[in-house]
Amino acid sequence: MAVDRVLPGQPILIPKGPAPLLGNGVYSRDGTVRASLLGVPRNQGSTLTITRITPRAPVPNSIVLGSVTRLTPIQAMVAITVVDGVPLPLGEEFTGVIRAQDVRSTEKDKVKIGDCFRGGDVVKGLVISLGDARSYYITTARNDLGVVFATSEAGATMEPVSWQEMRCPKTGRTEKRKCAKPEGV
Amino acid sequence: MAAAVASSSTSTSQQTDTLKAATFQRLHPRIYLERFLAESVRPDGRALEQARDITVNVGSITTADGSSLVRLGDTTIVCGVKAEIAEPELDSPNEGYIVPNLDLPAICSPRFKPGPPSEEAQVLSDRLNEAFLASKIIDLSSLCIHSGKAVWVLYVDATCINYDGNAFDAALIALVAALRNTHLPKATYDEDTGLTVCSRRERIPLQINASPLSMSFGIFESTHLLADPTSFEEPLLDTTVTVVLTDKGELVSATQVGLGGTGSQDVLMSCIGIAKRRLAEVRPQIYRS
Amino acid sequence: MSTFDRRRINGPEESYPPLFEDGHDVGDAYANWKVGEPRQRRSAGDVRPIFMKPGLINQANGSAYVETEKTKLVCAVYGPRQSRNTAYSERGRLNVEVKFTPFSCTKRRAPIRDAEDRSVAVQIHQAILPSVRLELLPKSTVDVFITIIENDGLESCYASGAVAASAALADAGIEMLGLVTSCSSSMVGKEIWLDPTEREISLAKGSLVLACMPALGIVTSVWQSGEVKPVEAIECMEACQERCADIHAIVSEALLANAKVI
Repeated sequence: MAVDRVLPGQPILIPKGPAPLLGNGVYSRDGTVRASLLGVPRNQGSTLTITRITPRAPVPNSIVLGSVTRLTPIQAMVAITVVDGVPLPLGEEFTGVIRAQDVRSTEKDKVKIGDCFRGGDVVKGLVISLGDARSYYITTARNDLGVVFATSEAGATMEPVSWQEMRCPKTGRTEKRKCAKPEGV
Repeated sequence: MAAAVASSSTSTSQQTDTLKAATFQRLHPRIYLERFLAESVRPDGRALEQARDITVNVGSITTADGSSLVRLGDTTIVCGVKAEIAEPELDSPNEGYIVPNLDLPAICSPRFKPGPPSEEAQVLSDRLNEAFLASKIIDLSSLCIHSGKAVWVLYVDATCINYDGNAFDAALIALVAALRNTHLPKATYDEDTGLTVCSRRERIPLQINASPLSMSFGIFESTHLLADPTSFEEPLLDTTVTVVLTDKGELVSATQVGLGGTGSQDVLMSCIGIAKRRLAEVRPQIYRS
Repeated sequence: MSTFDRRRINGPEESYPPLFEDGHDVGDAYANWKVGEPRQRRSAGDVRPIFMKPGLINQANGSAYVETEKTKLVCAVYGPRQSRNTAYSERGRLNVEVKFTPFSCTKRRAPIRDAEDRSVAVQIHQAILPSVRLELLPKSTVDVFITIIENDGLESCYASGAVAASAALADAGIEMLGLVTSCSSSMVGKEIWLDPTEREISLAKGSLVLACMPALGIVTSVWQSGEVKPVEAIECMEACQERCADIHAIVSEALLANAKVI
């Protein structure tokens, strides 16, 4: 463990050769590359970064997890609690919105929000933009995105049976959802 | 000093596992807790009826007339006593005042927002005041400087700086420890001037009658009794129980909020039993000062 | 002043801090001190030992406790959080709030936010703002909460508060250009006394607090009050800046010792 940790403001020696791209946690000022995070500078490919696993705010292309808090005919509101695999602390959340046109990639104009999500569902989504003052815009229009966890009307955890249906193991009845394709299937 | 760049890869599989567990905990807190309790263990490794360690430091705040810093697990509370002088009430000319308050500011947890006291803080302050009154910590007449003219007012302010659950038990320790650490200046009321003048040299320790301690519990899904719940466990509990005991282990009060029991046994009685054993064990360590 | 508040346990309608007999407090080193005499207990250019512990508040994203003898304060950083009730902004917002505990001062402070809380918050905000890379945090707010447990003069709160805030931000993994450290000074007679206590401030004709990023050699904030000549102000700034480098070393060591990252 001979790697050196650096502190914000500390210069980082750049070896001779092609200059690296600057990623997270580093910056250049007056020709000197410096750390802006406490951590270990590393080269990932041609990019120099300092990575800290800390809760962060969503940015475009972040993968987020959250639960559906409210439905309207045009959109579903989501309380985002996990951003890029890092859970936010208890009590912290970001507000996301899935607009009807962002639910799936086909037949966008026929989407009925109530047939895709229910309150309490856990949804996996991709942030498409920082949205407006209130919320981040999220899309689920990809096979691996959509509902990842839902409870049936009978109170049991459901299993996806297709990309738009889930089945209750208790009653055997199916409910409509925009499901995410389970990992590893 | 410039630093070199490391070449190794970043995340380890251990980090990934920790993140996965934390993600599951965040998304499905109830199921997460259920799985631990099914194995008769808490997420922090404690047994169900086991409370967290307590540390108490007193007297480090020189602007206070008495002070304490208490940690119950990670829950941290600082408390200071400020003594002021006031006229007594007409109907109780020999009695001073004790004014206990607990603040849960935004610094201590994401659950609390800046601004006036939250409902939770108000409820806790009321309960602490009740525990004060019920256990008669201080004889209010010992705070009399001159009958009908001047008495001491003890403002006992506790501030939580890290909220990891069960603030009541920690705050009660902090308040009582700060009072036990309090020394008041020798005060003399001058009938001619109507002024009370205090000595700069002579300070007298407060006479403490009782040093109550409490132990709180929560009941999860009407089955599991959890002692000294954390901030993660608290929102998942359907019932909470608090037992306040005197120095000698006698019952001052037992309160239950919520209807949940744990099946056939009498919850309140078993909480009192656990509290008696635990508090007898920790009392000497808490009040050794 | 009536401070009745139905959300708190209230005392009597009126109460007064104790009135002490004439004379000086036991242990007042300046009881018989006269202008021109040397500083008591330490030399003019010395600062009090600084104890810093990052990461004490595990409910927060980052935190730091700072103690310089009688000045004791704790800082917690929350966020980046979603900005509420504000217009969309490309840059993040840095919010600093300061609270004095009721028992932190010689006279009890009623637990209400007052102008002094805000002025301390403004000074700390100014000291750390240039260091935080807010351009990386669109739409977000970083909350910096400071609780002053014991107050030994406002100058000391400004300086220790800025040091604690910057360390807590680093602990929280908020990107910044460099660590901010800060030092206070006062002009007593013809001498510059660094890191003055509240008692020493009462002897001074003026005081100055400087905050800077020692790694970059950049000053982020200067606060001055009382009466000093321009040349004296510059001398104070230089003396403070020199001490800031020492404080930077202490903060760095504390942060590295605490860092969980490998």
